[in-house]
Amino acid sequence: MTLTQRQQVDNDRSRFDFKDEIVYLTETKRGLTRATVEEISALKDEPAWMLEFRLRAYEHFLKRPMPVWTDGLDRINFDKIVYYRKPSEREEKSWDDVPDQIKATFERLGIPEAERKFLSGVGAQYDSEVVYHSVKEELSKIGVVFMGTDQALKEYPDIFKKYFGTVIPPEDNKFAALNSAVWSGGSFVYVPKGVDVPLPLQAYFRINGENTGQFERTLIVVEEDAKVSYVEGCTAPIYATESLHVAVVEVIALPRSKVRYTTIQNWSNDVYNLVTKRAHAYEDSHVEWIDANTGSRKTVKYPSIYLRGRGASADIISVAVAGRGQHQDTGAKAIHLAPDTKSRIVSKSVSKDGGRATYRGQLKVAPGATGVVASVRCDALMLDDESRSDTYPYIDIQETDTTMSHEATVGKISQDQIFYLMSRGLSENEAQNLIVQGFLDVFTKELPMEYAIEFNRLVKLEMEGALG
Amino acid sequence: MTDALKLPFAGEDRVRRLSANLKEPKWLLGDRLAAFKSYLDLPIETNNLFTLYVDLRLARFAEIDPYEETTEAPQVADVVPEGASALIEVAEDKVVARALSAEAKSAGVVIDTFANVLRNRPELLREALDGGTTLPANDKFAQFARSHSALGVLIHIPRNAALEKPIVVRWAAGEPGRGLVSRMLIDVGENASVSVLEEQLPTDSHAEAASETQPQSLWWGTTEVRLAEGANLNFAAQQDFGPNTLAFVNRHATLQKDAQLNWALASVGAQIHKSRIDNHLVGRGSGVRQVEIGFGGGRQLFDATSYTRHIGADTTGDLLSKGVFLDRARGYYKGMITIEKTARGTDSFLGEFAMLMSKQARSVTIPSLEIDQPDVRRASHASSVGPVDETQVFYLMSRGLPREVARKFIVLGFLEPVVSRIPLGDAQDRLRRLLEEKWPASTELDAIGKSEAAA
Repeated sequence: MTLTQRQQVDNDRSRFDFKDEIVYLTETKRGLTRATVEEISALKDEPAWMLEFRLRAYEHFLKRPMPVWTDGLDRINFDKIVYYRKPSEREEKSWDDVPDQIKATFERLGIPEAERKFLSGVGAQYDSEVVYHSVKEELSKIGVVFMGTDQALKEYPDIFKKYFGTVIPPEDNKFAALNSAVWSGGSFVYVPKGVDVPLPLQAYFRINGENTGQFERTLIVVEEDAKVSYVEGCTAPIYATESLHVAVVEVIALPRSKVRYTTIQNWSNDVYNLVTKRAHAYEDSHVEWIDANTGSRKTVKYPSIYLRGRGASADIISVAVAGRGQHQDTGAKAIHLAPDTKSRIVSKSVSKDGGRATYRGQLKVAPGATGVVASVRCDALMLDDESRSDTYPYIDIQETDTTMSHEATVGKISQDQIFYLMSRGLSENEAQNLIVQGFLDVFTKELPMEYAIEFNRLVKLEMEGALG
Repeated sequence: MTDALKLPFAGEDRVRRLSANLKEPKWLLGDRLAAFKSYLDLPIETNNLFTLYVDLRLARFAEIDPYEETTEAPQVADVVPEGASALIEVAEDKVVARALSAEAKSAGVVIDTFANVLRNRPELLREALDGGTTLPANDKFAQFARSHSALGVLIHIPRNAALEKPIVVRWAAGEPGRGLVSRMLIDVGENASVSVLEEQLPTDSHAEAASETQPQSLWWGTTEVRLAEGANLNFAAQQDFGPNTLAFVNRHATLQKDAQLNWALASVGAQIHKSRIDNHLVGRGSGVRQVEIGFGGGRQLFDATSYTRHIGADTTGDLLSKGVFLDRARGYYKGMITIEKTARGTDSFLGEFAMLMSKQARSVTIPSLEIDQPDVRRASHASSVGPVDETQVFYLMSRGLPREVARKFIVLGFLEPVVSRIPLGDAQDRLRRLLEEKWPASTELDAIGKSEAAA
């Protein structure tokens, strides 16, 4: 790479590193108490059942010990976090109504162009509230709902109450409990029977504001024979003290539906990103998680698919890049609860500059789930001596005619490959970059094109200076 | 389940009595007491990855009173079995046989109880044992053996000694309500080479089915291996205790430069067989090859943990576990390979494979890797679980074999890689027989075949 190209890349990087001066209209006091939870619920003017749900979750959060199987979480100071912040009074329907400063932020991220061109709908989350939102007319006509989760609670109370918290109850884990207590924002997607959403639905999430916790809650319900693809990507400004992002994503794939959920996670390197994502896949449905993690200080995230109906299938692709000071503790879970279900997990990780990439996965075949076919493939690439790579797969099979295979490899880039590419005129850095991109190709090729370009650029940024 | 290990027979008084009964020197009592403190302090499983997969609910420790005194039988047999170079045999609380071939004697090999060695050549033990470095410091079960052993066996192979024929170590256990806690130290000198066959058998008449009414019996032991530069050990074990026995085993090996270790371990018997293997590849060029099989039926639980730490450069690890589970049997295979920063040029493979033969059987495999050094020749693991391959059955049936015979052949073939590595021909045949006998009667097989056809 020539010097000018490299500078260009560095300049590119800077566009993620800004902080806007926003006047927050409403925010809760630092720290979490029962009163904070009540205040959030009151500010949102929620039904009584939701306040009860939040309080039940809050009680469980207090009781539940911190998980011990991963490290570093004890550094989160829950008392220093602002749990709710509302940057704008109401949800915006039109781009013109969005406050200029927020608009400027999004414009630097390139959202509106993408939206104008061909996106079917955009919900962008600025801190804790969805401020901008549009769903194309034809989607509304065919009954597809794509809106902020808070709004959906008011406008679609029946669907909401039927599914909310059924996939991930507050008692699932400590962070699911935290999210359930203070959740705000996130996306709600409802696709009616037989509807094939022709374009991916996209939502951008951003954290702004030091020590702002962002606790979005996403609920996706896909009715029988329907089809949808949902894409989320994240960026956040860089700060010195630690931010917290604790999300819950619930997906319900009803019989014969097809759902794809794509994430590109690029939080700044001070964010603790602790996310519970789970899908219930019913009879003959197909669910895909495509999950990439390049940012954050620590990410703990294992997208899970519970195969609950006969013939359901699951595909999970998990990609992680861990650089200096980062720990990507990611992976996937496939829980087979019904006969003739299939799952495939592919994990690729890259660790460099002292970063740590951990694959943690679970594959479970419950009694009664006959005829299961499952495979897990984990590959890790380590770019230097300072980095670390771990693989922790749990495989629990309780049914006799399961066919399961698991494979994992860890290695480095071979000098032969580098040498070969350099002999073709590439610099060492470019050669390494190319090999890493090739290694992650299984992920990139599943992305919509603009995302693939964006993701490759992110990897390139991450790779910058990898050879020091 | 966690921290549920309360052994009613563990206690400082007992530790002191055990040491006094064996007339042990002060340093050894001190070592036992240090171990007892560790035992008290440690949780049942220190590795957070594995805590969910420890299950001792089938153990009824309260009914067991382990032996506090061990003795030599009035008549200690001194005949070396054919094909072997030495034998030591312990039945319940007694040493019943001890024999050394002329070849082994002249090579300077020592095989004896700790008690005898402490009288004659205490230096052979103190350097190895004092401080507890031959057992994992973070393992409650190992620390229990270190503090509460009632018998020790030393196998000492001097430098450059090479025994062609294996040393046989035989343990018989099964007395209801009783148990033996023991240690075994295998110390192999520079460039020495030896093979050891360990047989764990039911005491005559205690091989019948697991019983709720009869107290359980206990066998709790260690294999502590030290391989000096260039040393070579082939260690094979067959565990065939009766179904009413609880077996706890720690195997721990430290390998210096260019040392080579082969483990071939077969488990067929016992109600619970809980084992942990630690391989420390310290010296450059050292290597371990480990093959473990479990064949379980009834409500048997095989709980097998294995840690391999690559510390020196150019070390090799090749680890393979295979399990076949009938009835309500369970296998928990927990593996961890660690490649430390110093271990450039590591070649490491971990494979965990299982076959489930019944709907109630369960297999858990956790083949983990922790890697701090990317400059490796290979670092990978693989795991698979599956039924008997119907294509293979079909092929064998087309060659005239009845269905159940075909299935049996395929299962035995799956386990054969371990069987073929047992060093004594007789012992190999015996293991094959054991595995075949484990195969259910043809009526049960019909049931399995039918349920599969239906599914």
